[in-house]
Amino acid sequence: MSIITKIIIRIIYLIIFLVVSNYVYKVYFFEKDIQQYSDIINLVRKVPDNADIVYLGESSNTTVRGDDKDKRAISTIIADNFPKLKIYDITKPASHADVYKVLISHIPKTNKLKTLIVTLNLRSFNAQWIYSDLETAIQKSLVLLRPYPPLINRFMLSFKAYDIKTKKERERQFKHKWKHDKYNLPFKFDFDNLKDWEGYVWHKGVLNPDGTKNFELKNLTCHYIKAYAFQIDTLKSPRIKDFDQIVEIAKKRNWKLVFNLMAENTQRAKELLGNDILYFLEYNRKLLIDYYQRKGVTVVDNLNSVENEQFIDQDWTTEHYAEKGRQTIATNVTDTLMKILNPKK
Amino acid sequence: MLFNTIDFLIFFPIVIFCYFLTPNKYRWILLLAASYYFYMSWKIEYIFLIIFSTLIDYYSGLKMAKLPNKKDRKPYLIISLVTNLGLLFAFKYFNFASESITSIFSNFGISFEPPLMKALLPVGISFYTFQTLSYSIDVYLGKQQAEKHLGYFALYVSFFPQLVAGPIERFSRLTPQLKEKHYFSYNNLVNGLRLILYGLFIKMVIADNISAIVDKIYLTPQDYSSIDILIGIFLYSFQIYSDFYGYSLIAIGSALIMGIKLMNNFKTPYLARNISEFWQRWHISLSTWFRDYLYYPLGGNRVKIYRWALNIFIVFVISGIWHGANTTFIIWGTLFGLFYLLEKLFNSIFKIKQIDSHFSFKHILLSLKTFILISLIWVFFRSQSFAEALNIFSYIFDTSRDIKSSLNINIITVIFLILFIISDIAMYNSRFDKSISKLNSIYRWALYSILIFAIIAFAGVDNFAFIYFQF
Repeated sequence: MSIITKIIIRIIYLIIFLVVSNYVYKVYFFEKDIQQYSDIINLVRKVPDNADIVYLGESSNTTVRGDDKDKRAISTIIADNFPKLKIYDITKPASHADVYKVLISHIPKTNKLKTLIVTLNLRSFNAQWIYSDLETAIQKSLVLLRPYPPLINRFMLSFKAYDIKTKKERERQFKHKWKHDKYNLPFKFDFDNLKDWEGYVWHKGVLNPDGTKNFELKNLTCHYIKAYAFQIDTLKSPRIKDFDQIVEIAKKRNWKLVFNLMAENTQRAKELLGNDILYFLEYNRKLLIDYYQRKGVTVVDNLNSVENEQFIDQDWTTEHYAEKGRQTIATNVTDTLMKILNPKK
Repeated sequence: MLFNTIDFLIFFPIVIFCYFLTPNKYRWILLLAASYYFYMSWKIEYIFLIIFSTLIDYYSGLKMAKLPNKKDRKPYLIISLVTNLGLLFAFKYFNFASESITSIFSNFGISFEPPLMKALLPVGISFYTFQTLSYSIDVYLGKQQAEKHLGYFALYVSFFPQLVAGPIERFSRLTPQLKEKHYFSYNNLVNGLRLILYGLFIKMVIADNISAIVDKIYLTPQDYSSIDILIGIFLYSFQIYSDFYGYSLIAIGSALIMGIKLMNNFKTPYLARNISEFWQRWHISLSTWFRDYLYYPLGGNRVKIYRWALNIFIVFVISGIWHGANTTFIIWGTLFGLFYLLEKLFNSIFKIKQIDSHFSFKHILLSLKTFILISLIWVFFRSQSFAEALNIFSYIFDTSRDIKSSLNINIITVIFLILFIISDIAMYNSRFDKSISKLNSIYRWALYSILIFAIIAFAGVDNFAFIYFQF
């Protein structure tokens, strides 16, 4: 037997082997692996085929304050406002556009879904979130959900074909962004980048009214800088790319798409850092709204709509709202949906 | 870049393809660039350490080669030893020394805290340090001519298949092979791929699945029954074996495809009949290094018996320290030394002769005894602290606890572990590539298929770093 014949026989065998292996894996082992490594898919599976609206969110949707009388999630309040519509939520804490993108791509073609509401969290565009150390686990949970044959997906999981980085490496990534993403501002500002600004505040410190140093307040102020003092670059931001892909999927599936820009604690931000930080928040808000409206997406602008008192976490930046805050956001979304669903009124 | 990642699956074929396309004269450039790239994939900065170590040993070697007597060569040997061991100490043992000093002072009520080093331990530093040290010592002793070509010397230090976890090769064995012209060989390709395949299988399917079980037991032993903990202890023996053996096979297989034969690092160690035999079969490149560069210079067995016992003890304790800066490793080495000497003493008192007949009832019994003993010693190796190791032992013997077995071992892992043990026994004193070549092609391909399918479908995905990379 010539070497060419030998090689051809081996290639044919390999193809048959891969096809059979894929079948065996899919039938006998895939589901078990899905439940072990990618059980996030169950959130999509629970959405019935006759859903009218799906609300995609993270912890902002469901987090409540202990003394809330109305403990309904934002999506539940919206659903209650439309009793005739079947509205379901897919809520995954600490998730972001990359996760949403994978999840919505798994909504079956048979599903009659008409409208998709996606949480647009401005804070999720900051470098520390994009390069969070949670990312390795999140990316790992998405490998088996990629649009390839199950065996290929398992191969990629086995050989770690996803973004694996240690906490230190992620830290290096976002610190690099803090230093090298230069500000491009229409006014004179003392700092070139986030690192300089945060470093200045950190070294200068924050004082109490009596002149003593307030470490907690300094920490919080620095955290606000890290969370909001950036400018989104629509050409480079990986988050923008993920949201763009969501827009593409929605177009292909003929879904009406609503981005729900979540409220941030702008009152507290102003108290801590004045109008400088508000500039960044406003800049990014406007950029996101303009950018996605141009792409035909309806954007609900909640950025300034929740008061400081309604933010559950007073010592950190989160989008966790007490009942009034959730109600306000749900009302804003409801109003927008009314316009979309009943355009003539 | 780990062997069990997609990065290596892409990197390695590219290197091989370029290797056979490159004229022999320039292959060292390709391999050196590939090796440095491979190492830099962990942390770019650490390449400077290797380069520094390479340059020191290269120039020390050249200087020593020019001097006719040992006395004149000695300062250059000292430069090499101080540099290499200094780096090793700085990165690996400095913090341990600092913390130990702090602890000693605090026992006397004195608060003294020497500074701690914040830098991460460079991957494989113990391996390449020992490799370069062997070169310097050999040149000093006049056993080895100094290498004049800096490129080949740098490649000897950093050859990527064995850079981060061995086998620790001698200059006289590896460098001539790096210089030799290797043509593409179908046999080398097939045998190399067989070793890589089997290495990946035992690492990814056996070690990585077992580690998930072992980690849980060591994390919260109080939640597990005595039997569970015992199972965990024995499973760890298989985990570390399949982890390190798997790595070694992939390293040997990768080099073999390029026509370079690395030394075998394992020979069915758990079939050893005593501790002495175990160390002839486990991490062979390290034990022979210690034999040649520590045990023999100390006098070996050509000294009085108490001195010989001390020599043995020193070698094992230093072997423990080589593994890491932790009392657990020192205890691990000490215990091996102790049991080694006790076995020798026992054999000489009762005049027990070595059994030559393989797989006799006695052989099996002795192997089992040795395996149990080694497994118990591994507890110190696996534990983060001495207290943790004692905790593990105390939970085994604590009869007051009323905890039912809660181990959840996947049946597929059990099946593959049993198959691994059987194949290890079947390959006694042989290697996978040689053993499998004796099979009929249908069986062989069936086995390949099973291994490939198992690697893809059943690889453990939670803990995948190689244990020995931390050393």
